[in-house]
Amino acid sequence: MSVLTETPVQRLGAALRPAALFGLGGAALLAGILLPLEFALATVIVAAVAAVLSRNARVQRFTVQAAFAAAVIAVGRILIDNLTFHLDELNLNAFPFLRVTGEFPFIEVTRDFLRQRAGFDISESSFGLEYTANDSYWDAYMVGLANTVRVSLLGIFLATIVGTVAGVARLSRNWLVSRVATVYVETLRNVPLLVQLIFWYTAVFLKLPTTTEGVNLFEAVFISNRALALPWLGTTSGFGLWVLLLGVGVLVAAGVWALRARRQEQTGRPSYPWWWAFGTFAVIGVIGLLATGTPLTYEEPELVGRSYEGGLQITPEFTALLVGLTLYTGTFIAEIVRGSIQAIPKGQTEAAAALGLSGLQRLRYVILPQAMRIMIPPLTNQYLNLMKNSSLAVAVAFKDLFDVGRVTINQTGQAVPIIVLVMLTYLAMSLIISLVMNTVNNRLRLESR
Amino acid sequence: MTATTPPVAEPLTVRRARLWARENLFGSVPNTLLTIVTAVFLAAAVWGVFRFVFFTAEWEVVDANRRLFFVGRFPSDETWRIWVVLFTVAGLAGLSWGLWSGIGMKLAALGLGGLALVFAFMAEGDVAWSTAAIVALFTGAYAAARWLVRTTGYAGPARNLAVAGWLASFVLATLLLREVNTALWGGLLLTMTLAIVGIVASFPLGVLLAVGRTSTYPVIRLFCVGYIELIRGVPLITLLFTAKFILPLMVERERELSLLGIDVTFPGVEMDDVLRAMAAITIFSSAYLAEIVRGGLQAVPKGQVEAAKALGLGTARILGLIVLPQALRAVIPAIVGQFIALFKDTSLVVIIGLTELLRAGQQVTAQPAFIGKQAEALLFVALIYWVVAFSMSRASQQLERTLGVGER
Repeated sequence: MSVLTETPVQRLGAALRPAALFGLGGAALLAGILLPLEFALATVIVAAVAAVLSRNARVQRFTVQAAFAAAVIAVGRILIDNLTFHLDELNLNAFPFLRVTGEFPFIEVTRDFLRQRAGFDISESSFGLEYTANDSYWDAYMVGLANTVRVSLLGIFLATIVGTVAGVARLSRNWLVSRVATVYVETLRNVPLLVQLIFWYTAVFLKLPTTTEGVNLFEAVFISNRALALPWLGTTSGFGLWVLLLGVGVLVAAGVWALRARRQEQTGRPSYPWWWAFGTFAVIGVIGLLATGTPLTYEEPELVGRSYEGGLQITPEFTALLVGLTLYTGTFIAEIVRGSIQAIPKGQTEAAAALGLSGLQRLRYVILPQAMRIMIPPLTNQYLNLMKNSSLAVAVAFKDLFDVGRVTINQTGQAVPIIVLVMLTYLAMSLIISLVMNTVNNRLRLESR
Repeated sequence: MTATTPPVAEPLTVRRARLWARENLFGSVPNTLLTIVTAVFLAAAVWGVFRFVFFTAEWEVVDANRRLFFVGRFPSDETWRIWVVLFTVAGLAGLSWGLWSGIGMKLAALGLGGLALVFAFMAEGDVAWSTAAIVALFTGAYAAARWLVRTTGYAGPARNLAVAGWLASFVLATLLLREVNTALWGGLLLTMTLAIVGIVASFPLGVLLAVGRTSTYPVIRLFCVGYIELIRGVPLITLLFTAKFILPLMVERERELSLLGIDVTFPGVEMDDVLRAMAAITIFSSAYLAEIVRGGLQAVPKGQVEAAKALGLGTARILGLIVLPQALRAVIPAIVGQFIALFKDTSLVVIIGLTELLRAGQQVTAQPAFIGKQAEALLFVALIYWVVAFSMSRASQQLERTLGVGER
């Protein structure tokens, strides 16, 4: 429709049409939700008949969508109606997180139900979280969440290393190395992760000798079916101050890096910004270490009776889960790394060689920066998978988010809110990983253009 | 002049091997070092595995429990139902191989035939005849199909018949196996049932979701995006838990409604545990398939749709005859990859208490005679999963090559 022939009435109509459509749609939505179920089902039938009969494309566009929306609403209502009906029979509230109140805004978010005493023990926690059976379900849930986060982050880190090494090894000109990498990838990739986890846990880590007969390396490293105990660093009162100083060190080092980088750009002479930055940071760190009076102490684990004390103790549950996740995801990352490197045109390597770059330089400055760009999106998927797969911890008795949720369901019978809560938590973590990786992806893309 | 003895000519193969080794193993100092280190580790690993498999391990646990591994607690009197299904599958696989020889179908047919054989070897009792019958059916059907293709012109109708046969076999298998309480299904039987039902059910659902996501109707698009992203954001076991604990509450209720003046009774759906697991797996896998198919849809050039419109085709026909065939063909390898993932994911149903293959592997080590034999049992289970998953991925590579995906 041309602008010249448009009357004011038409213009008004065009401006109001989206609003009218939204209003109509909203009203239909509300009607579908609030009116009796019979009405919702009748709407589906009427809209479907209208969609079949309508011959005008614009009308059909409307009726088809109306029929679809009505059908979704009706099915959803039947399902939720049935659910609340059964939950009422069981005397349960479907969504105890929401409470209707007398005042505005009439609905209140509450965690009351999770404030009850949990009453179950959690064998290990992460990031120094304290927890006893007397704490609430919510506290238990936080411990589970921290455990999931710890194993996911470590797993992502280790799987990336294993995967990159295996992926590059598969492309190695050394026949033996590439064969070994191929066998690793093709074997572990085609066996379900759950089988591997249970194997690591029941057939390897639980089969280790007991604490008294276990491996004891120089009274410092202990390996047994109870734990893997390593020397670790303990903290004293000056630790907080030192961490603060380290933060300052990072800022100063960043400044030094920027200065040296600018100098290199302006003079054209190599000014080693990374070495300078690292050096600055190290100097500040050491000075801080001395100034705050040994904030860190070296701590060796000790065998006391049948258990260990001090040092870093890693449970077999955690080790089994971490090893399983790392090796399994590593195979997929290896394939991604291999594919991305192979996707770089051969001319790039040849051109780099013609410029006189060494093998390592070719990889560092020419191949990897380009391969990285292809790698990031599929790598993101693998990170997401690893995080979601960490929920298989339930099979190796590691108390993660899902397992704490499972125990809570068993104790309270509140399946609906807990599953919803667990799902939302996983969704949120998925979103965070996606956001981080998308940022990385955008940065890489910007630099190249 | 001293007579020099001519150097003894090195046999060609030895020289070739020497050259090859120098090029591939000992090209430079770092390379040689790498070779030696790897070789030492490899030797240690191979020796360890060898010693375990042939000396330390006691495979009695597997041999004594073959039936549990393969069909679980499926009653012996009813085993004939599985046999009938296997005979049908073997015959159809042979037939399909003969009819479609040339493309990767033959690998798929071989895989299915091989699977039928695995079951045959593992069932208890007198399996010799049944195994022979399966082999005979497979080869007989293959020969018949080859003869049909070569000497008569009925290959086309025969292919349609074969497709119909596969569909019919699915119905037949459902009717036959349904008679046995699903609580008794187990082992590889249950694993394969879950995988096949998951594949068959999630594929059309995934295609529908992908088409919906690329639809020009915002309401439909919004729904599909929401479904896909929600499902892809959560782990499968949360869905299995939902299916186990919440889904029954949503569907198991009989209701009577008056619809436009007519009384209608909605029967409640009874869902046993196996059906719940199937629902969860299908819902989960369809979201991933949808994303794969969407990739294929985006790869179809826009001109194809425009040309089809210009010819006067309707939306459904454009989709079914023009867009989908091209889109699906482009993403076959990824689809097979998703099916492999689905097959491996069926192992997760142990967490909601189903006794599939992995659970069988855990159960046998609870028997008094086999306590502590987890390694043997789990390695055997892993081997079965590996054989199926690995052959599927090889078949997919073969298919990719014969279809020439990406090389047109």
